Amino acid sequence: MVEKSINKNVPEILCSINRFINKVNIPGIAIGDALLIVFFSIMSDRFLSSYNLLSILRNSCTLMIAAVGLTWVILMSQNNVSVGAVVSMAAVMVPILNNKGLPMGIVLVMPMLMGLLVGFINGFLIAKMKFDYWVVTFGTMSLMTGLALVVANGETISTTSKFLNFIGNGKFAGIYIIIWLTAILVSIMLLIQRKTKFGYNIYSIGGSENVAAISGINVVDTRIKVHMISGLLAAIAGMATACMNVAGSPTVGNDYSFNAMAAVVLGGTAFAGGKGGIIGTVFGTLMLRILASGLSMMDIDSTWQKAIIGLVIVTLIVADVLNDQRKAVKGSRRIYRDVI
Amino acid sequence: MTVDESNVILKMTGITKRFPGTLALDKVQLTCERGKVHVLLGENGAGKSTLMKIISGEYQRDEGTVWFNGREVNFTNVRQAMAAGISMIHQELSLLPERTIAQNIYLGHEPEKEGFKGIVDQKKMVTDSKALMDSLGLDMDPQTSVKKLSIAQQQMVEVVKALSQEVRLVIMDEPTSSLTSREINKLFEIVERLKQNGTAIIYISHRMDEIKRIGDSITVMRDGQYIDTVSAAEADLDTLITMMVGRKIQKMYERNYREPGKVIFETDNLCGLRFRDVNIKVREGEIVSLSGLIGAGRTEFAKAVFGIDPIDAGCFKLYGRQINRIDPTNAIKYSMCLLPEDRKKEGLVLQTPIKENLTAACLKKTFKMGILRNKPENEIGEKYVRELRVATPNADKIVGELSGGNQQKVVIGKWLETGCKFLIFDEPTRGIDVGAKCEIYILLDSLVHQGYGILLITSELNEVIGISDRVYVMKDGEITGELTRDELSQDRIMRYAVGEGEVV
Ligand SMILES: Nc1ncnc2c1ncn2[C@@H]1O[C@H](COP(=O)(O)OP(=O)(O)OP(=O)(O)O)[C@@H](O)[C@H]1O
Ligand SMILES: [Mg+2]
Repeated sequence: MVEKSINKNVPEILCSINRFINKVNIPGIAIGDALLIVFFSIMSDRFLSSYNLLSILRNSCTLMIAAVGLTWVILMSQNNVSVGAVVSMAAVMVPILNNKGLPMGIVLVMPMLMGLLVGFINGFLIAKMKFDYWVVTFGTMSLMTGLALVVANGETISTTSKFLNFIGNGKFAGIYIIIWLTAILVSIMLLIQRKTKFGYNIYSIGGSENVAAISGINVVDTRIKVHMISGLLAAIAGMATACMNVAGSPTVGNDYSFNAMAAVVLGGTAFAGGKGGIIGTVFGTLMLRILASGLSMMDIDSTWQKAIIGLVIVTLIVADVLNDQRKAVKGSRRIYRDVI
Repeated sequence: MTVDESNVILKMTGITKRFPGTLALDKVQLTCERGKVHVLLGENGAGKSTLMKIISGEYQRDEGTVWFNGREVNFTNVRQAMAAGISMIHQELSLLPERTIAQNIYLGHEPEKEGFKGIVDQKKMVTDSKALMDSLGLDMDPQTSVKKLSIAQQQMVEVVKALSQEVRLVIMDEPTSSLTSREINKLFEIVERLKQNGTAIIYISHRMDEIKRIGDSITVMRDGQYIDTVSAAEADLDTLITMMVGRKIQKMYERNYREPGKVIFETDNLCGLRFRDVNIKVREGEIVSLSGLIGAGRTEFAKAVFGIDPIDAGCFKLYGRQINRIDPTNAIKYSMCLLPEDRKKEGLVLQTPIKENLTAACLKKTFKMGILRNKPENEIGEKYVRELRVATPNADKIVGELSGGNQQKVVIGKWLETGCKFLIFDEPTRGIDVGAKCEIYILLDSLVHQGYGILLITSELNEVIGISDRVYVMKDGEITGELTRDELSQDRIMRYAVGEGEVV
């Protein structure tokens, strides 16, 4: 009798877990993250400590902000390789403006305006003037990379500011401020993506620009806004690195474009557009950082680390695509039974 | 014919539209009334879709005036036309496969939460689309994603989408081309209800039988020009066809039957995704039809035979060779090819010229030692443009710029060029005008005379009866009946198709 009820209850629990996963739409990559944590905990006894996990989280923040901004661009079946350059530019703007003795408000607003402006230029040239997005964003990438080096004179610029230091390295309720900030930003973006017409339109345009246009969606407008948001978030990511280091380097963003793209694609947002989203990118970013931390704790050479991370990216993308195909076949069977 | 001026909702005069190299519309006029169905007739490439896209704000006219709802309008984008109460069901499916039915229905005009501008009310969207579908007699879960639906179901979603906001004028550009009787009846009920509400409808179709059934008035176009407008009650089908193609069509279905030869295709208890225990055969010199309702499993059967979908059990023989597994790339080697149902997705590269599409399945003919020969490519291009009467200045035109029906002619040409002797045609005449249909029937007839064997999947009963030697009827994945040429009648086929064949 007792056994029976347990037998009945176990699948019920599994079902409700499954339902929960489906409801919040956790992508497969989250399970990958969990498996990696288990793997590295076994491989290295230093890995599974609250200190290390917290530092992985903290190291993920800046990339996560930039990658989340890039997600919508890729969701719209475009790309933006100028993310890294904007990160660098914003990172050097903060100490330079602060060293000039300007009020903190201006120090914080100016880099954001710069990000918005670069995003607007990208969006305007791509959506309105119909230039190719690779050409345009490569252009702004070169421009901003160069400008960042020029204004910083090719050097890392340090500054002193209690406030910036507090944002970058302070804690609130035992957790780094920077983690709180990232969580807030991601939550806002998630709400926009899931609840607003703007979010819906991003998916529609990514699914098919033509279908979106003939359904009355203002494609040009939406595209420009998405590029501006991508620029803004890249700038915020750059500012965050400046706060964490209390200094800005004109090359700090060099890896960001590629890493952000990897995080987005790992998270299940396809380059073809129309499916995926921010949650996936969050877990994609975490995966990159978990891998980096775990591999260095296993004392693996940093050059090998890159190769291994690359291999993992490729494997996961292939696995995801295969899984998707299988789902599609299964789905068509089920519908058949419903209808006939 | 006379028009009640007070009832007019749309009036277009002197509409001209040029595309590079094509005069798509030349001083065309059109007048629609509230509560009436206005049918637009014309061959493939006559300019019907182009005229509709001008009404819906997708294209801008070069000349002419448009009055809508009592004032002159000049829509520069789709949003303005939608706001004025115009919605359009496009000739090609315009849905997002990754999104749910509800999201597709309210695409671009999602309901907003009260008091929160720009916030989508998801609950309302789902309940509203459910209610809307219920009221139209459709039973689907609004939260299924569209990619899981059959083409017919997708088409119905498209209809619901067009009716999901206040409409004064609904444009239906070949809505029935992928539907069969059941869904068509449903659609016509919907049209009837719209009429009663005073909505005007513009209806485009190449199925002549539908036109008299639901049309109130008919406008005929040819080569971008306005020919005439007549009342549907008085119109006579033959005259309409002559007006449309500019010549007289003597006989729609031309068949010179011949004695069939040896069996070239034979299945042995074939089972697959949506069909079971299928035993059919096709002989040399035969046109064999596979009839049935949509969703009966016919397309799935064809796909499995061609190796696109897996075969679960059983096998089939081609020219005496037993085949258990096949994949589309080597099917041509067995002299078999399939003209797919969903041509856009499976049959054409839209951004390339006609001639490249025509030769895509037989590159051996145009490539010698890996180098492209222009001459054979051009010859093949010219040949099919001429034979299938593709409406285009030459074979260099980009396929995506052709009208819907002409794109389909290109796919047919592509498969004919492979020289395969056993052909499976899945809905070959869908969306093709009467003139070209007739042309295709003549072509099929001449093919079987040369020893080809043809398996024809079609939902048009007239076509089944007109040109088949034998007919198999499929229902829910099983063959329920076989009819020879002498036994063929609409009645018999339908009875097998709905499962009452044995009773009578
Ligand atoms: N975007 C475009 N660019 C160039 N030419 C075009 C374009 N759209 C249509 N055309 C041309 O305009 C003409 C009319 O095309 P349209 O699509 O209106 O025909 P249709 O009457 O709808 O035919 P069908 O019955 O085959 O759908 C065709 O010759 C076509 O090639
Ligand atoms: Mg058309």
